Amino acid sequence: MRRTQARPPAWPDAVEVSTASFPGTQVGTIFTPGDLYEAAELMRSAAELDQTVAFAGGGTKLGFGYPPQQVDVLVKTERLARIVDYAASDMVVEAEAGITLAALQSKLASHQQRLALDAPNPDRATLGGLVATNSFGPRRARYGSLRDLIVGVSLIRADGSRVRGGGKVVKNVAGFDLPKIAVGSLGTLGMIATVTLRLHPVPETSLGVRIAACTIGEVQTLVRDLIAQQLEPAALIAARWRGAYALVVLFEGFAAGVSEQAERFSQLATQLGLRPERIQDPKLTESIDEAARAYGNVRLRIAVPPGALEKLEHEALSVLAAALDDAKAVVYPTLGIAFFSGYADARTDWAQAVLQARAAVEALRGNLVLLDVHDATFAEKVDVYGTLPPSFPLMRRLKDRFDPAHRLNRGRFLGGL
Amino acid sequence: MRVRPLAVVLPATTEEVAAAVRVARRHGVPIVPRGAGTGLSGGALPVADGIVIGLARMNRVLAVDFENRRMRVQAGVINLDVSRAIAAAGYYYAPDPSSQSVCSIGGNIAENSGGAHCLKYGFTVNHVVAATVVLSDGEVVELGDATVDPLGYDLMAALVGSEGLIGIVTEAVVRILRMPELTRTFFATFPSTDEAGTCVSKIVAAGIVPAAVEMMDALAIEAIVKATHVDWPLDVGAALLMDVDGTSAEVEHTAAAAIEIAKRAGAIEVRMPQNDAERALMWKGRKSAFAAMGRISPNYYVQDGVIPRSQISRVLREIAELSAREGLRVANVFHAGDGNLHPLVLYDARIPGQEALAEHMGGEILRICVRYGGSITGEHGVGADKAIYMGDLFTDADLETMNYVRCAFDPARAFNPGKVFPTPRLCGDIPGAYAPHASETAGVAGRG
Repeated sequence: MRRTQARPPAWPDAVEVSTASFPGTQVGTIFTPGDLYEAAELMRSAAELDQTVAFAGGGTKLGFGYPPQQVDVLVKTERLARIVDYAASDMVVEAEAGITLAALQSKLASHQQRLALDAPNPDRATLGGLVATNSFGPRRARYGSLRDLIVGVSLIRADGSRVRGGGKVVKNVAGFDLPKIAVGSLGTLGMIATVTLRLHPVPETSLGVRIAACTIGEVQTLVRDLIAQQLEPAALIAARWRGAYALVVLFEGFAAGVSEQAERFSQLATQLGLRPERIQDPKLTESIDEAARAYGNVRLRIAVPPGALEKLEHEALSVLAAALDDAKAVVYPTLGIAFFSGYADARTDWAQAVLQARAAVEALRGNLVLLDVHDATFAEKVDVYGTLPPSFPLMRRLKDRFDPAHRLNRGRFLGGL
Repeated sequence: MRVRPLAVVLPATTEEVAAAVRVARRHGVPIVPRGAGTGLSGGALPVADGIVIGLARMNRVLAVDFENRRMRVQAGVINLDVSRAIAAAGYYYAPDPSSQSVCSIGGNIAENSGGAHCLKYGFTVNHVVAATVVLSDGEVVELGDATVDPLGYDLMAALVGSEGLIGIVTEAVVRILRMPELTRTFFATFPSTDEAGTCVSKIVAAGIVPAAVEMMDALAIEAIVKATHVDWPLDVGAALLMDVDGTSAEVEHTAAAAIEIAKRAGAIEVRMPQNDAERALMWKGRKSAFAAMGRISPNYYVQDGVIPRSQISRVLREIAELSAREGLRVANVFHAGDGNLHPLVLYDARIPGQEALAEHMGGEILRICVRYGGSITGEHGVGADKAIYMGDLFTDADLETMNYVRCAFDPARAFNPGKVFPTPRLCGDIPGAYAPHASETAGVAGRG
């Protein structure tokens, strides 16, 4: 593995929110509203003055999407961090957008409950930012993403109106599903003000099985086998380092079930000639995940059909690893998701490798997205999103309805929306 | 709820659907899409001056992909036929509305259908990942893709549950799941719905996520016993039917724990089926509950409201008070695990005024649900039936925002007019959309 002499610093996991937080775009004024009324007032005033608006929570995802074209007003949500309503017996919580994931989890833990979301950087990442960027971790394999956990949302629209969709109950089909539409919308349809979520019980116990060395083909086989065997892991994560993989499978639930599942999975691995070992560390998948995702200065997320893991490795990840220094990746095998990180190497054309990998991924009917861009020149070398989906004209029409003057996070989302 | 449309079109292909839409639009005729017509909120009710496009002939399974755990089907495929096509391989499609032997996937997408097992497995929106859709201008577009995270806005979230207002689904890609290794079912009876409600709350508080928890009150039990001849006792106040599923050791543990909780919560009797046939009979009893009402009443009005699970006992008492006050009986059979009530108001249409009274009581029940922080529909949809209650749940600005979604897809509002929204809403022009002036584009002038 090559090492450049003067390697650039890794991109930060979180930046201090300031007028210089966005790469290549100077922010006009920062406001930190103290409650949702102030936030709505601020949005109304920006509408009257035809000002462009962006949003910031913990500063962990300000490098998502294209650099915004213009930010007259930056709304910081850090003082909007209240729990609005926590109905523990109904396992539903409504909280303001600025609460951090860790603060929310700590409140829920007192009732032996949790939001089943293990997204990175929980001490900084806020609920609003997590929803806006559809952030997730390896437990998505079992519990789904925020799309599957959100039951209600309130938005402050571009015109300053406060509106809501969904509700406080898990089962609800009244009206169009604004909560799910808000997930992954990158703050381009409205300011996410509060989020209502379904919760899960904290499992009685958890147990991991690690296979320290295997190939991607063996990972694919093990996934096929464990599904055939009707096992139900909470998380699976395959960490790539120098072309080899280490697989960790985490089981959660009641003690009897967890140890039975771990035993059966270990047997499957042994039958393939692999050496499984048991690990008792509930934070295990998070630590592997963060080590690979909060790293480097080129970060990518790749999504492919979950049956295409070998092609993902041979046609995308290995190509990228050859062109970037000290590359790391994690693959969520049942989901067909990979996060790749590495250092741009001055001696190789890393941008060309990304484009080659993207072409291969798109041929698999997948996508490759550049994440955490903290240097505006990077986005000039490689488009952040790649080929637009055939439904893009509908997305533009949706944006035009919600934000006719394109003042919210102008130019930051797919296709410059 | 009876309207004769201008014409009914029964296309066999996506292209024929698109052609029908284009012809209707050329003549300014509204379009109502229709699946199997099993909906319970009048969502597929025709409009008098419009055409109906029925998808019943598009009933083929197109592809099964076990490697990616996906299946591509036409919109008219019956829900249960999806599971039947893959059962031999040990897979199934999770959403299971009680009408699953007759309702279609296209209709399920329109309504975001649930069912007894969505407590653990989620709703249609969690299980449909992509769709081929005919838009109101006749254009055919694919929403979603083969990955879990398509680029851009989540248009599948806009589509599922949109009740035929934004497009006509002709094909869908659904997730298929490996069948759980083991399912344990038990049936428990209680002196009243109070104890049964408490039992549900305690099971969930113990960290157990059942696959399904269904509650039936005394009237519902009576109707089911008369209609299906299950040997359920008639001298009880309520019964729970519950499934736990998963891997064997986990299920044995949770089933035993749940039964213990039921006993401590005051269960009179707990029964476990001895074989698959007995289990199937228990579920047949539950799933035929609506139809069984015919055994105890000439007519019934089924309601669909949602409340927070912890409020079940209180809300059922309020419904009982309403029933006593107004003079019509109300049977309750519902998805207790997620607080999704299905009160059935029993009446006799031959007696003048009773039908109107039943409808009035249905409305009052919805208002009770809203007062307790719930919703006016958990799975049957708003349709034509409940549009008038949307204002109880949402503000005008909320509804206006939902209308943005509709207008983005169908600015002429050609699809399914008169449904979901309480008052006709125009789409209008987009106010003040930013478009650079020609001089700006040419670099002659700039903004600001």
